[in-house]
Amino acid sequence: MGSVNLRGIRKAYGAVEVLHGIDLDVEEGEFAVLVGPSGCGKSTLLRSIAGLETISGGEISLAGKVINHLPPKRRDIAMVFQNYALYPHMTVAKNMGFSLRLSKESKSEIDRKVTDAAEILGLTELLDRYPKQLSGGQRQRVAMGRAIVRDPELFLFDEPLSNLDAKLRVQMRSEIKELHQRLKTTTIYVTHDQIEAMTMADKIVVMRGGHVEQIGSPLDLYDRPVNMFVAGFIGSPAMNFVPASVRDASVMTTSGAEIGTQEGVESVGEAIAGIRPEDLRLSDTGQEATVSLIEPTGSETQVTLRTMDGNLILTTRDRLDLDVGQAVHVMAAPGKTHLFDAKSETALKLRESA
Amino acid sequence: MNETPRPFYWTFITLCGLVIATYILFPVFWLFLASFKTRDELAQLPIAFWPKDPTIQAYRDLFDSGSQSSQLLNWPTLISNSFTVAVTSTIIVVVLGTFAGYAFARLKFPGRDLILGGLLVSRMFQGAALLLPTYRLMNMLNLQDSLIGLILLYSAFGLPFATWIIASSLREIPFELEESAMMDGASRLQSMVMVVLPLATPALITAAMWHFVGAWSEFAFASILLESNENKTVTIGLASFVELFTLEFQRVGAAATLVALPIMLVFFFGQRYFTRGLLAGAVKG
Ligand SMILES: Nc1ncnc2c1ncn2[C@@H]1O[C@H](COP(=O)(O)OP(=O)(O)OP(=O)(O)O)[C@@H](O)[C@H]1O
Ligand SMILES: [Mg+2]
Repeated sequence: MGSVNLRGIRKAYGAVEVLHGIDLDVEEGEFAVLVGPSGCGKSTLLRSIAGLETISGGEISLAGKVINHLPPKRRDIAMVFQNYALYPHMTVAKNMGFSLRLSKESKSEIDRKVTDAAEILGLTELLDRYPKQLSGGQRQRVAMGRAIVRDPELFLFDEPLSNLDAKLRVQMRSEIKELHQRLKTTTIYVTHDQIEAMTMADKIVVMRGGHVEQIGSPLDLYDRPVNMFVAGFIGSPAMNFVPASVRDASVMTTSGAEIGTQEGVESVGEAIAGIRPEDLRLSDTGQEATVSLIEPTGSETQVTLRTMDGNLILTTRDRLDLDVGQAVHVMAAPGKTHLFDAKSETALKLRESA
Repeated sequence: MNETPRPFYWTFITLCGLVIATYILFPVFWLFLASFKTRDELAQLPIAFWPKDPTIQAYRDLFDSGSQSSQLLNWPTLISNSFTVAVTSTIIVVVLGTFAGYAFARLKFPGRDLILGGLLVSRMFQGAALLLPTYRLMNMLNLQDSLIGLILLYSAFGLPFATWIIASSLREIPFELEESAMMDGASRLQSMVMVVLPLATPALITAAMWHFVGAWSEFAFASILLESNENKTVTIGLASFVELFTLEFQRVGAAATLVALPIMLVFFFGQRYFTRGLLAGAVKG
C-alpha cells in the first residue's frame, strides 16, 4: 500500500487539453472518490495513473516513487473496469489467477490466493464457471477478485457499479467499502453518482472541465462547499439557489423578503444564497411561496414551492398538513444559508469571529 | 423485422440451394463413383450410374510402383510436395497475418484504413495478368522449379487476405480486455497471445483453411514454375493424368478423388469456424 501524489497532471489529446494541471494527494490506505459531471476527465485521470494514457505534463508518484514513465505492468496497480473486462475464455479461477500466473507464482500459491479471495467475495461455488455464465453482480465480484489477489499498492475503480440495478448497487457499495476496511489498500474510485461518493469516500475530489474544484471529506464538502458548482453537485435533492443581498446578517431575496440569517458575513448588494432543502423551514415570516408539488417518500416529504425568485425544494421528516396551491412562508434555519459571489460563484468568506 | 415465419420463402430458398448444389456436385459425384468402376464397365453403353461391382483397383494402380501410371507420375511424391507447399505457406501466412492483422487492428498510423482496404482490393489483381511477370521474377531470383519459390509465392498471394480477415476479427475484440491484461502484468505480446488470439480462433482457423485450400488446389502458377517431375504438385499431376489416361477414366476418377480429399476433410472439420470467421467482420455482436 502506498500514498499517491499527483503534481500538475496535464493530458492533451492532440491540440485539446482535457486535464489542466491536477494536484492531488491520497494518503496511504485512504479511499478517495473522484466525482464530477460526464466528460470532466475522471476516467482520463484514472487511466493516466494506471499508465493506460501517457500524460503530457506533471508527475505521478506512488509510494514515494515517480511512476510516470513505467508501463502499466510495472506500476503495481490493479484496476476494475466499468465493463469488468473479464477474459471470456477463462474460468473465474483462471481470471482471478491470471496476474499471478504472469508473475510466475507457483501453482499452489496461485490456488491458495485465488481460494482466499473467492472466499472473501463469496465466489467459491463459481470458480469453474465462465464469465458469460455469471450475473452482473457476480461478474463485478470476479473483477474485484482479480484485483485483490494481487495485493497491489493501489486499487483503481472506474464506475464499477454503473451497470448494476439500483438495489444491487447499494449492496455492492457496502461490500466494496467493507472490503476496503478489511484490506486497507489505497483506493481511487470514480463515479458520477454523488451518493456513492458521499457514502464511500474518506476524501472526495470534485472535478469539472479538467480542473479540481474542491478536495475534502464528504461532510466538509457538504457543509463548506467552496463554490456554487460543488454546492449544487453534492447533496440530493440539490441545494436551492436564489439571488439575494445581505444586510446586517440578514439575507434578503430580490423581492425584499428575508429568507435567512447568517452571522459573520459582510453586507453585500448582490450575491447568491444557497439553502439545502432540509434547512428550509415553514415559518410565519419570510419568503412568500405557493405549494406546487408534495412528494412523500415515507421517511421524509419533499415539497416543491413556487416563489417570485424561482422554485425552492424543501424536505422535512415532519408530517406536514399542506395542500397543493396553499400559500406559505419559508425561511432557512438560522446560520444555514450559504452565500456565494454573484459573479465568480465562489463562497463568500465568513469573518473569523463567526 | 417481420417476426412471423414465412414457410413459402424458406421452402423456395432451400429448393434453390438444392438445385444449385446438385448442379455443381453431380459431375463430382459421378467422377467419385467412376473411380470404383472397372475400365470395361465404363466402356459399356448405356453407362450405369452406380458401380455394378465396386472395386478399389484404380486406387491400387495409383500407388503401385510397378504400374504404368506411377512410372510417369509418382503420386506419393506429388502428394508430399503439395502438402509441403500448402502447409508451410499456411503457417507463414497465418503467423505473419496474425502480427500484421494485430497491427492493423490496434495501432494508429497514417493511411491505415486505406492500406487495409488495399489488401482486399489486391486480391482482384491475381490471375493470368501476373503469370508472366511472376515467371520472370522467379527466374531472376533463381527460384523457378523449386518448392521454396512456390511457398514464397503462395505466401505472398495469401497474406493480404489473411491479414484482412484477421484484422477485422481482432477489431471486434474490446481493447479493454488487453488493457486489463496489461494492468494484470502482461506485456503487449503476452496480452496478444494469451488474451486476444484465443478469442480470435475462428478467424485464425478461417484464414488457415482458406489459404490451405487455395494453395492445395492452385494450378496456373505451379504449372509454369515447376518443371521437373520430382517437384510437381497434385494439381499438375492430375492435369497430366487426364491427358495420359483419357481411356482409363476410373483412374482419373481415383486421382481426382484423392486430390479432393484433403479439401473435403478441411471443410468437414473446420466448417463451424469457417462461417463464424467469415461473418465476424460483417456482423456486430
Ligand atoms: N481518446 C480520446 N481522444 C480525444 N478525446 C478524448 C479521448 N478520451 C476522452 N476524451 C475527452 O476527454 C474528456 C474527458 O473524458 P473522460 O472519459 O475522462 O470523462 P469522464 O469524466 O470519465 O466522463 P464520464 O462520466 O462520462 O465517464 C472528454 O471531453 C472526452 O471527450
Ligand atoms: Mg468515465
